[in-house]
Amino acid sequence: MEAAVVDAGSKLLKAGPAIPDQAPSMILPTQMKRMVEDGSMNDSTLYEDITVDPIVRGFIRDWDAMEDLLHHVLYTGLGWEMGNEGQILFTDPLATPKAVREQLVQLMFETFNISGFYASEQAVLSLYAVGRISGCTVDIGHGKIDIAPVIEGAVHHIASRRFEIGGIDLTKLLAEELRKSNPQVNISMCDIEKIKEQFSCCAEDELAYEKTQNHVTEKHILPDGQVITIGRERYTVGEALFQPSILGLEAHGIVEQLVRSISTVSSDNHRQLLENTVLCGGTASMTGFEDRFQKEAGLCSSAVRPALVKPPEYMPENLTMYSAWVGGAILAKVVFPQNQHATKADYDETGPSIVHKKCF
Amino acid sequence: MYGGDEVSAIVIDLGSHTCKAGYAGEDAPKAVFPSVVGSIDQMEVDEPANADKNSGSVLSPLKDGIVADWDLVDSIWDHAFRECLLIDPKEHPMLLAEPSSNTQQQRERTAELMFEKYKVPALFLAKNAVLTSFASGRATSLVVDSGGGSTTVAPVHDGYVLQKAVASSPIGGEFLTDCLMKSLESKGIMIKPRYSFKRKEIRPGEFQTVDVDFPNTTESYKLYSQRVIASDIKECVCRAPDTPYDVFCRNPLSKVHIQTFNDPYELPDGQTIEIGADRFKVPDILFNPSLAQTIPGMENFAEIAPSVRGLPQMVISCIIDYQLLAGGTASMQQLKERLEKDLLEESPQAARVKVLASGNATERRFSVWIGGSILASLGSFQQMWFSKSEYEEHGASYIQRKCP
Repeated sequence: MEAAVVDAGSKLLKAGPAIPDQAPSMILPTQMKRMVEDGSMNDSTLYEDITVDPIVRGFIRDWDAMEDLLHHVLYTGLGWEMGNEGQILFTDPLATPKAVREQLVQLMFETFNISGFYASEQAVLSLYAVGRISGCTVDIGHGKIDIAPVIEGAVHHIASRRFEIGGIDLTKLLAEELRKSNPQVNISMCDIEKIKEQFSCCAEDELAYEKTQNHVTEKHILPDGQVITIGRERYTVGEALFQPSILGLEAHGIVEQLVRSISTVSSDNHRQLLENTVLCGGTASMTGFEDRFQKEAGLCSSAVRPALVKPPEYMPENLTMYSAWVGGAILAKVVFPQNQHATKADYDETGPSIVHKKCF
Repeated sequence: MYGGDEVSAIVIDLGSHTCKAGYAGEDAPKAVFPSVVGSIDQMEVDEPANADKNSGSVLSPLKDGIVADWDLVDSIWDHAFRECLLIDPKEHPMLLAEPSSNTQQQRERTAELMFEKYKVPALFLAKNAVLTSFASGRATSLVVDSGGGSTTVAPVHDGYVLQKAVASSPIGGEFLTDCLMKSLESKGIMIKPRYSFKRKEIRPGEFQTVDVDFPNTTESYKLYSQRVIASDIKECVCRAPDTPYDVFCRNPLSKVHIQTFNDPYELPDGQTIEIGADRFKVPDILFNPSLAQTIPGMENFAEIAPSVRGLPQMVISCIIDYQLLAGGTASMQQLKERLEKDLLEESPQAARVKVLASGNATERRFSVWIGGSILASLGSFQQMWFSKSEYEEHGASYIQRKCP
């Protein structure tokens, strides 16, 4: 049986059997609704629609919700049978606290009774997906941005950076901007999320962004019949990544952060790292983001310019959205057959701390 | 009391230049960041690299290795826990590294801050020299710790520092960086801080550097950014000369060699500078502090020069067979060989001199932290923690007994 690979992100959970050159078979949103168990199934008005996010900013926070979600994914989605669970590979964001990792291992072995477990960092996996073992990953997700230099498969923790901004903050920004330009219209957050995904893009460079002030506004009709105008807001969302002052943060733009983080690594590796830069994450697949990134890279204050890596042809389209999952599938094919993972016997003997010894 | 594996201790080494923090049992700290705090009005923001150009002044909590401002130390620890390591200090015992000549009052203050504010379950304060010794697997040695703010030579015997024989000097990495900066300035090379310029594309493919003006920048922030670049120059280019610098110069052959030893270095704004004799002059200040007087701009050093001894003299004053090199400045190239040579010349005939330094530069930088990681994960150490209940029972002064 194939090992299962699960990449649990703040917005989407990607899961599937470990077949590397395909997209993951299950992509579902991690946001869940809490159902109040009060016995009466008929009266749906009694249900409280509390949305629960088991994963916040990349880390698992609500373990009960996570358990239910994984239950659905493994037994319903991947078709596992109770009593015959297989092996599973999880992806972790950067700087995962040790306690979170241990709790995940405990959950998997004790509640789900799996036979083998492995966990790896998303930065390394994204590099494997494009066929490299050294380089720099810029992972722009829903809940966080991770910039990690990886040398020969090992993340350089000292130089890596994590920011607590991501797609979710861009959605809030878009909501504010739309509220300013369309005061009468009332839109829910998930509709704004869809608008962001469909319409947002990056201006070519700063000058082009200034010019969009006079941009032609377009009218769109929402599913519930309301009409909104979208003009400059589409570009503002993309620009926020390069000029965080739009979000109200005093930080440098993403390319500058990349260069600064690499400058703390010893200079022999600079060239290798910058020339193998990989962009991944849902937010990075915005229209025009890659081109803008390359343009900014040309302007940055560094001798070696960051250069983006082209994914191999046999990989599916849209690799940026799930490169961590694909990398996980590649790694699963190597780790599980060679017995480098943590087995049930290891867990019974050593306990949850086995994850720190076996999986890095 | 506190199991080695299940509950991971946290090891923090707050140095004058960088703060290193991470989990015990690992081979390198997870969080390494400059131990300075940028303060904007009331807000104290750490890591000025993230703060933008209009930030306030850059302040350092340590002065001569002793804590001068406890609020800054507090905010640095807070940053390490909440933003770098993402842990809750209530759940992890803390091992802190302290300078070898720390006073009782400082230790009590540290214990108070840790127990009252962060509510740690257990605490231990270990001296830097002892931790370095453990990192190399020895209980007895002479530790030469050359870090950012100072250089300390301390003999360690069976895990205890012999306090009377500890010698320390204010010459450290930051001092050498300042010397290098002044030397470059006197040659007319201005180091432009990273934030002060931008590249503009004037024609496709051609770039031009344009100066950006930020009138609100404070002097200390500008100096800090310049220092960052200057210390990068120092790390790439400087090496300890084989012979003392004045001997080096007087040698007629070496005059020719100085020309060929010019190393080009590209500054972030695109300027390429050639650094020749300074490559060897600056590191030699560690061995011969009076050399610093010859650099224009460092004349105020002359007042303390007579009392500052060079590295070999400090070491001679406490003679033990093994010397251990540690600290960021000690990872300079050729330092170990030069020190060995100097010591052999000056020491009495009978003593054996052997200088040990781990070959890996990263290990030398973090050897104090690594020693702490080793110590905190030892099974036999677990009963030595100074726990919260002991603090509540006996008070902060009990720390003198628990952490020798």
